[in-house]
Amino acid sequence: MTYAQGRIRNFCIVAHVDHGKSTLADRMLQVTGLVDPRKMRDQYLDRMDIERERGITIKAQTVRMPYRPLGDEGEEYLLNLIDTPGHVDFSYEVSRAIASCEGAVLLIDAAQGLEAQTLANLYLALDADLEIIPVLNKIDLPAARPDEVAAEIGAVLGVEPSEIIRISAKDGTNVDRVLDAIVDRVPPPQGDPDGATRARVFDSMYDPYRGALVYFRVVDGRLRAGDRVRMLATGFEGDVDTLAVQAPEEVAIDELGVGEVGLLSAAIKSVEDAKVGDTITVSGRGAASVPPLGGYREPLPMVFSGLFPLDSDDFPMLRDALDKLRLNDASFVFEPESSAALGFGFRCGFLGLLHLEIVTERIDREFGIPLVTTAPSVRYRVTLEGPPGPDGAPQVVEVANPQELPEANRVRSIAEPTVEARILTPTTSLGPIMQLCEGRRGVMLAMDYLTPERVELRYRMPLAATITDFFDQLKSLSRGYASMDYDLSDYVEAELVRVDLLLNGEPVDAFSAIVHRDDAYGFGRAMVERLKELIPRQLFDIPVQAAIGAKVIARETIKAKRKDVLAKCYGGDITRKRKLLEKQKEGKRRMKAVGSVEIPPEAFVSALRVARDG
Amino acid sequence: MSDERRWLDRPLESGAAAGFGVYLHVPFCHHRCGYCDFATEAVGGLGDDDRDALMRRYVAALRTDLAAQAATRAWPRVTSVFVGGGTPTLLPPDLLAEVVGAVGVELDLTPDVEVTVECNPETAEPATFAALAAAGADRVSLGAQSFDAGVLATLERRHRPERTAAAVAAARDAGVGRVSLDLIYGTPGEDRAAWLGSLAAVVGLGVDHVSAYALGVHANTPLGRAVAAGTVPAPDDDVQRERYDEAREVLSAAGFVQYEVANFARGDAERSRHNVLYWRHGDYLGVGVGAHAHRDGRRWWTTRSTDRYLAAHAPGASAPRDRDGRIPDLTGEEVLGDDARALERLLLGLRLREGLHPVDVPPLDAAAVEGAVAAGLVTAACGRLQATEAGWFLLDDAVGRLRGTGAVVAGGAD
Repeated sequence: MTYAQGRIRNFCIVAHVDHGKSTLADRMLQVTGLVDPRKMRDQYLDRMDIERERGITIKAQTVRMPYRPLGDEGEEYLLNLIDTPGHVDFSYEVSRAIASCEGAVLLIDAAQGLEAQTLANLYLALDADLEIIPVLNKIDLPAARPDEVAAEIGAVLGVEPSEIIRISAKDGTNVDRVLDAIVDRVPPPQGDPDGATRARVFDSMYDPYRGALVYFRVVDGRLRAGDRVRMLATGFEGDVDTLAVQAPEEVAIDELGVGEVGLLSAAIKSVEDAKVGDTITVSGRGAASVPPLGGYREPLPMVFSGLFPLDSDDFPMLRDALDKLRLNDASFVFEPESSAALGFGFRCGFLGLLHLEIVTERIDREFGIPLVTTAPSVRYRVTLEGPPGPDGAPQVVEVANPQELPEANRVRSIAEPTVEARILTPTTSLGPIMQLCEGRRGVMLAMDYLTPERVELRYRMPLAATITDFFDQLKSLSRGYASMDYDLSDYVEAELVRVDLLLNGEPVDAFSAIVHRDDAYGFGRAMVERLKELIPRQLFDIPVQAAIGAKVIARETIKAKRKDVLAKCYGGDITRKRKLLEKQKEGKRRMKAVGSVEIPPEAFVSALRVARDG
Repeated sequence: MSDERRWLDRPLESGAAAGFGVYLHVPFCHHRCGYCDFATEAVGGLGDDDRDALMRRYVAALRTDLAAQAATRAWPRVTSVFVGGGTPTLLPPDLLAEVVGAVGVELDLTPDVEVTVECNPETAEPATFAALAAAGADRVSLGAQSFDAGVLATLERRHRPERTAAAVAAARDAGVGRVSLDLIYGTPGEDRAAWLGSLAAVVGLGVDHVSAYALGVHANTPLGRAVAAGTVPAPDDDVQRERYDEAREVLSAAGFVQYEVANFARGDAERSRHNVLYWRHGDYLGVGVGAHAHRDGRRWWTTRSTDRYLAAHAPGASAPRDRDGRIPDLTGEEVLGDDARALERLLLGLRLREGLHPVDVPPLDAAAVEGAVAAGLVTAACGRLQATEAGWFLLDDAVGRLRGTGAVVAGGAD
């Protein structure tokens, strides 16, 4: 059945992780009668296991819900929920989802209050002129403080606290009021039903049988099954062989008009051909002159790390795994890299730290390949000494791998990416959090009291500082109450140096890191101490050094081992001893060699954890 | 086939040619020491009658078991008997004599058979030694462990240091010709002076054989748990190395020859023939709980549970036995593949000063051998493989290197 444009409402839910977004979505499915309560499973919309376990949504999901408010005798309304990813790493995807809506439910945990990430997405929604429907969730919790939190939201949005709907998504209280508010207050979609077809891609995912599935919202015109479509940014063309909506299971449909949300397949080999933000049009005369919808941009990897198989035999498997993951995630990039210490692997670029963790976790879990992951790095801009380039400006190279940093005498300056971080914290943790930010080279830009108890801090700080344990520290200093979000900002010059780690005089490339000169000593010391602990003693003394160029800044020595023989074979029990040695052989096979030093791969894993967590 | 198959088929200087031994296990101890993870059964809490009855049932079971296994085939003549534990000397003298004499009842002994019995100093009464000597034991191995009262307390050994000297004297008086002392070093709390004191005491007692082992910590023991919990410091490898070097120095100055990593003897005749059999990859039968056996490329062992062992041997139980005379429910077994045999050859043979005779050296990767030689761990002159003085205490590393990171045994084993 088709719906009149005026009867369509497209909305998203802006919420922090754990504030109950998926639970509310689940409850909406039940209230609208779309899902039989007996078939209900928790978090219907979070599909991947990892997402379900972490309680986060990575991929946007949509669901089409017919709804008629109680007492309304008119035609049914069509509510399209466009569920957004919930993490700063995926803020671009969030922005495209928001651009496909006219309204947003701002869902706030009545116990936790506003969080920085919610605020960031709220600002995105306000910028896109969405109608905001503030909702307080979890009012059934004993720890709920609905009045306080309502006042806080009221202050931010400029609405009367009494207008904020109070619900419990868990037990269903007032969920119908939220649906009614969507019908009443969210404007219907605008758009030209007779114009050239334009639809915005807000997500895509890979299906092994059908190729990329593209999630879109029709902005102008209409899309029909069988249409030949063209992606304006990537130039891909193909025939639509699936046109469907999710309700929440996939239901095939013949046609989608202005404002409707759906998915299509068109034998698209990989999500790379159907990028988030692209515009779909119908091929044919004039297709090339259809103006693209605004806001498209290429995904930009921000965090880089080397991924190496723990067992070098797994290298071909790792390549396959990355190829497969990339089919479904055009935002991460990889290229082969070789390390003297770790052998063959891949240099990978990610949107952020969570993105990195999700990808490495999937490699481990779905493909069963244990990995060594080198310390995450950002992309530096290095201005070189020497003759200028053809344009007369000094030559600049981009470096995302500490190994590629040119020799110090060739470097005029190094600039690093910075972010503008927005931190929301209770005032009780203000002091320690300011100290933390300043310790990570943050510069305060602003401090606003949202309420007498909650402060919004804004800092400019190096992106590199946010990909260490910064977030964990923030949480522990505030007993979990502070939250953070950030926007990428400019490149800023800084006193950066590369610290190398040497074993027995040989540099171990995998351990090199670019750090601020002030942090170099601390980093070097922590690493040599940790390596001393982690590397088993060998037949000779092994100096462990941290150095900047030729200058050693920290040193320890792993003493030669002097005993390595197990006790007697009791009562002729040779089997036990032999089995121990068989295990030793298995371990030895997996050793990585740096010069004459053998390093168990587990030592890399642990030492690189130190490198990350500082 | 080819290379390694010829290696296995060759007549060996060691292996079966090394002799044939019988090990009998007596699991009873007064209590279980904190470091021990061997098959033991604490009986200190039992009343005298119960304890006596338990021991009689066990010895009867052991004899039945030995007789059943001995009867299944023509065994070689026995060159050594070892009665270990546990604490064999906890048995009343008559039972102890019965155990010691049991092998000679069931199997043929060579005229010069070596018969060793493990003794704990606190249980070694003159009557015990008299019984041992009468039953044919010519060697006792005394678990002295240390001559320092503090160390003995940490090890949870019950005897006082001076008790060991009395036991040595009693053994000699009873006519047991050969006396060996066991020592443990590197016990948490043992300092250099305490260790040197123990060594001096051993030398002073004029025994003909000394075994000195570094204290090992096993996870499933009270000591292991205490170390894991951090209440007792883990033995330090560097300290153990110093103790080892001190033992070598003191004992060699006193005329002992270190013929194996942890064993010292006054001369070739004083070496433990039974233990040398293990290290030369020889064959032996092992009977009783926790006992291991090796023959025809197989290893098998009996349950560590005294309860299960006794239940299977209870009068009227008549548990079925396999064609080797063993009770399948109580027995574990493995057939050694070529890789396993090669590894055993190395890990056992290199423990001996004599090393491995050329015909006993398994096929090894030449580069791996060169690597181990270059690292100073072994010598490989004229095909004989031996640990160096430096390599002896780093044997696990040496064996690892010899086996290389590639295939240890060249060619295709089936």
